[in-house]
Amino acid sequence: MKYQSFIGLEIHIHLLTQTKAFCACPNQYGAPPNTHVCPICLGYPGTLPAANAEAMRMSYLLARALNCELAATCTFDRKNYFYPDMAKSYQLTQFFAPVGRNGWFDISLGSETKRIRIHDVHYEEDAGKMIHAGKHSLVDYNRAGASLLEIVTEPDLSSGEEAEAYVREFRRLVRHLGVCDGNMEEGSLRCDANISINLPGKGLGTKTEVKNINSARFVRRAIAYEINRQAAAKDNGETIVQETRLWDADKGITLPMRTKEDAHDYRYFPDPDLPPFSPDDAFLADLETRLCELPLQRKQRYERDFSIPADTADFLAEDQQLAQLFDDCVALGAPPKVAANWLAGTVQAQLKRTERRVADSHISPQRLAQAIALVEKGRLSASRAKEVVELIILEDRDPEEIMTAHGWEQTSNAGEIDAWIAQVLADNEKVVSDIRGGNPKGIAFLMGQVMKRAQGRADARLVKEKLEQALTGQ
Amino acid sequence: MEPLTLWQNLLRDTERKTTWAQALAKRDAVIRSLLEFHPDGACAPPHSEGAFQGIPFVVDSRIAAEGFRLTCSSRMLADFVSPYSATAVLRLQNAGAQVVATGNADAFGMGASTENAATSVTRNPWNNDCVAGGASGGAAAAVASGLVPFALAADTGGALRQPASLCGCLGLRPTYGAVSRHGLAAHASSMDTIGVLARDIATLRRVYECIAGPDERDPTTASPTPLASSAQRVGVLDDLSDLSAPVAQNYRDTVAALRDLGIETRPIALPLLPHAVATYYVIAAAEASTSLARYTGVSYGFRQPDTATPEEMIRQTRSLGFNDENKLRILLGTHALRAENYPRYIARATQARAAIRQGMAALFDNVDVDLILTPTYPTQAFPLGTDAPHSIERKHADRYTILPSLAGLPAASFPTGTANDLPLGLQLIAPPFGEARLFDALGRILGDAPCPLPPTMTALGGQP
Ligand SMILES: [Zn+2]
Repeated sequence: MKYQSFIGLEIHIHLLTQTKAFCACPNQYGAPPNTHVCPICLGYPGTLPAANAEAMRMSYLLARALNCELAATCTFDRKNYFYPDMAKSYQLTQFFAPVGRNGWFDISLGSETKRIRIHDVHYEEDAGKMIHAGKHSLVDYNRAGASLLEIVTEPDLSSGEEAEAYVREFRRLVRHLGVCDGNMEEGSLRCDANISINLPGKGLGTKTEVKNINSARFVRRAIAYEINRQAAAKDNGETIVQETRLWDADKGITLPMRTKEDAHDYRYFPDPDLPPFSPDDAFLADLETRLCELPLQRKQRYERDFSIPADTADFLAEDQQLAQLFDDCVALGAPPKVAANWLAGTVQAQLKRTERRVADSHISPQRLAQAIALVEKGRLSASRAKEVVELIILEDRDPEEIMTAHGWEQTSNAGEIDAWIAQVLADNEKVVSDIRGGNPKGIAFLMGQVMKRAQGRADARLVKEKLEQALTGQ
Repeated sequence: MEPLTLWQNLLRDTERKTTWAQALAKRDAVIRSLLEFHPDGACAPPHSEGAFQGIPFVVDSRIAAEGFRLTCSSRMLADFVSPYSATAVLRLQNAGAQVVATGNADAFGMGASTENAATSVTRNPWNNDCVAGGASGGAAAAVASGLVPFALAADTGGALRQPASLCGCLGLRPTYGAVSRHGLAAHASSMDTIGVLARDIATLRRVYECIAGPDERDPTTASPTPLASSAQRVGVLDDLSDLSAPVAQNYRDTVAALRDLGIETRPIALPLLPHAVATYYVIAAAEASTSLARYTGVSYGFRQPDTATPEEMIRQTRSLGFNDENKLRILLGTHALRAENYPRYIARATQARAAIRQGMAALFDNVDVDLILTPTYPTQAFPLGTDAPHSIERKHADRYTILPSLAGLPAASFPTGTANDLPLGLQLIAPPFGEARLFDALGRILGDAPCPLPPTMTALGGQP
C-alpha cells in the first residue's frame, strides 16, 4: 500500500428509553407523522426540557463499558443552527462536558485484537425528518427530541474491514448492554466515517466525511471505495477537498453532498434550562452491577477455557441470553462442548421452528442440563431429544417428565433387546445368510428393523453391538 | 377585611361582575394595559373551592394561560393561542383564581417602557403622557389602576419591578428557582422569573406562596432552605449621585423612616454596580439569541407565506416578525456567542456574574445586613414617545434591578410616595429564598393598606 489510511467513526445510537430525551413523548418509530409530539419537543414558547434519568443511566453505562473517563458533572449545551427539522433551532447536546471521554474498545481482527481509542461519548437529542414533496416541504417531528448517544472514535482504524469489524463488535456491545437495538437499516444505529489517507509517516491527510451508510457491510465497502478514490486523486496530483459525501449503496460509490459548505459556527452555549448532571455514588455503583462481560471477552473465554470452536463461541457470545443460558448450564454440570453444540444445533433449530426466543421459550439452564444428561446416560436418543426440546418450548414441562409420559426412555434391559433381535433375524433369514456369507450390506437393514420394533426405546449403540454379536454367531 | 376578600364580595354576582368589567374596559381604553380581556376567563372554568375563589388576575403576555394568546406582545406570536398553562397559572387556578386578561409588554420582554409592543403603547395611569415602564408595563399599569387585585408578570432584568416603581404598585421578583418558569416564554433563561404585582402586602404574599415551590417541569426549581423572616438591619447606600433629585431625596427620606420604625441601617457600597449592565446585556442577549431562534414560522406562530424555500421562509419570517429591539439583542447575542468571541464576551461576563453573586452574598454575610435598600430605577416615569432617555441610557438605568437578577436574589419594588404627581418606588433585596423577610419588612414599612390609586381614579365598583 502506497498510502496509509486513517478512519474515525461517529456512531449515533438511539437509546432504548421509554420516553424521548427531554420530554414524556414515547421514544418510538413508525407512528403516523407528528403523533408522538408535545409542546416541549415542538419547541413551543415557555416549555422547558427535563433530563431523563433512564437515558443518563444508559449513557454512563455505555461510556463505562467503553472504558471512558466518566464526567463527575456532565453539561447540556445548545448547538445552534437553523433548519426546519430542528424545532428549537438548537440541538441539546453535550459539548463542554460530555458523559465520557478518552476511552477505548477492543475489536477482534482474526487472531489479533486491536484497541480503538474513543474520543468521547455524548448525549443529545435527535432532529425531526424533512420530506420534500414537489413544491412543498413537510416535517415529521416524531423523531425530534428522541434520545441519542454519539460515540466518536479517534482515527485509529485503517481499513474498511477494520471499520466493519468495529461496527459489528460495537453493535454487539450495545445490544448486550440493552441500550440500543442496533438496527442499522431502521436507523437506530447510524454510522458516519471520517476518512483520510497520506503517505506513511506524514500524519493525517485532509479528511472527507461519508454519511448515509446503513449496514455494517456498507461500512466496509464505502470506506474501501473512498480510500481508493482519494488514492487515485492523489496519484493524479489532485488535492483532496474537505467535504461531506454520501454513500450510494446502489451504485457502490460516494458522492459529494450538495450543501453550502460554509464553516459552521454552532455557537455552543451551556443550556440555562438544564442543570448539569452529577452522578452520585449509588448511581455509579449501580453501573458496575449492570456491566456484564463484553461479547468479545466472552467469546475469547469460551475458546480458551472450553476449547469451543471459534464460530460456535462467536454464535453464543452474540446473544446475551443464549450466552447466559450456556454459562448457567455449564455451571450445573453439563459438558461445555456438548452444551455448546446443543445450543447451536438442536436448541437453535427448535427455537427457529417454534419462532421463539430464549426468553419466552421455557428453556431453563436446569432443563437443558437435564436433557443433556439424559442423552449422555443413554436414556434418551438424540432424535427423541429434539422432540423433547420442542416440547419444553411449547409445553413448559421438564425433560424427564416429557420422556416418561411419551415412553421414550431407552431400555437398558438386554433381554428385551435380544428378543427383538432374535425376532428380526428369524423374519429375515435370506438377509442373515447373505451377511454370514460375507456380504455385510444387509446389516443396516436389520439394524433399522430392530429399531423399528423398539419404537425409539433402544440405544442404537447397544443394538448395533448386540446385532453384530448375534450375526457373528457368538 | 383582606383586600382579596373584598374582591370576592365585589364580584360575587353577575350584575356586579358586569359593572366591574365595564368600568375596567372604560379605564383600560385610556391606559391600554391589556391585550385580551375575557371577564369570565378564556376557557378554564373557575375551579371549585379555594382561597382565591372567583378572584380575577392578569398574566403578562409572556406567560402561558391555556386559551389565551401567548403573544409575547410580538407580531411573531400575534395569533398563537397557548395550548397549555404555566405552572404558576395552574396553581392559582387550582386555588380558584381566574385569568381574565393578558398584559401588554415590550415584545419578548425587551425594553423599559412598553413602547416596543406590537399592537399598542401602554400609558402610565398617573400621567397618560408618561411611560408605564417595562417590559411588563401592561400588567403593572393594570394592577396600579386597580383593574384587578394582582398580576403575574415576567421579570428578567427588572421587567416587573421597574414598571411597579413607575406606576406605583408592589412588584416582587422571587429568588431564581423559587417559582417554576414552565410556561414563561424565554428571554434569558438564567434570569427569567415569574413574579407578582399587587397593591397590598397580604395579596402579594398569598399569591407568592401559592405559586412557589418545586416543579418537575422546571429542573431549575429548588426546595428552599427556610430563612429567618425578621429584618433587623438594612444595608443602605451612601452614594446617591447617580439618581434624579426626587429619587435621591425619597431614598434619604425612606432611610429615615426605616430608622423611625426601629430598623438599624448600615452603610454599604456596591463596587461592582458599574459592571452590572455590561454583564447583564452580554448574558441576556446571548441567551435570547438562541432562545428566540425557535421562532421560524415552521410549526406555529407568524409565517411569511409564499417563499421559495424553507430557508427563505425562516429568514423572511424572522425579519418581519421581530422588532428592532429584538433584532438588536439577537445580533448582539449571536456576535458574543461566536466561537472566536466567546472568551472575550461570554467567559468574561460569566466571571463578572460570579463576582457579583459573591459580592452580594458578602454584603449579607460579612457586613451582616438582612436586606439591602436600593433605588428601583434612577428616575421616575419619563415622557412617552421621546428619545430621552436614549436607548443606551435606558439600558444603563436598569443597573439596580439587574443586580439581583444576575445574582438570582429575590427583590421587591415598593411605592414610597409621589413627586411631581408621579409615583416613587424603591427596591429591597434579600438573600436567596428570603421572600418572607421581604414581606415582613414591607409589612412594617407599608402597613396593611393598599398602595394609593392615581388621584384621577376611584376604586372600581367599591373595592379598596
Ligand atoms: Zn415531546
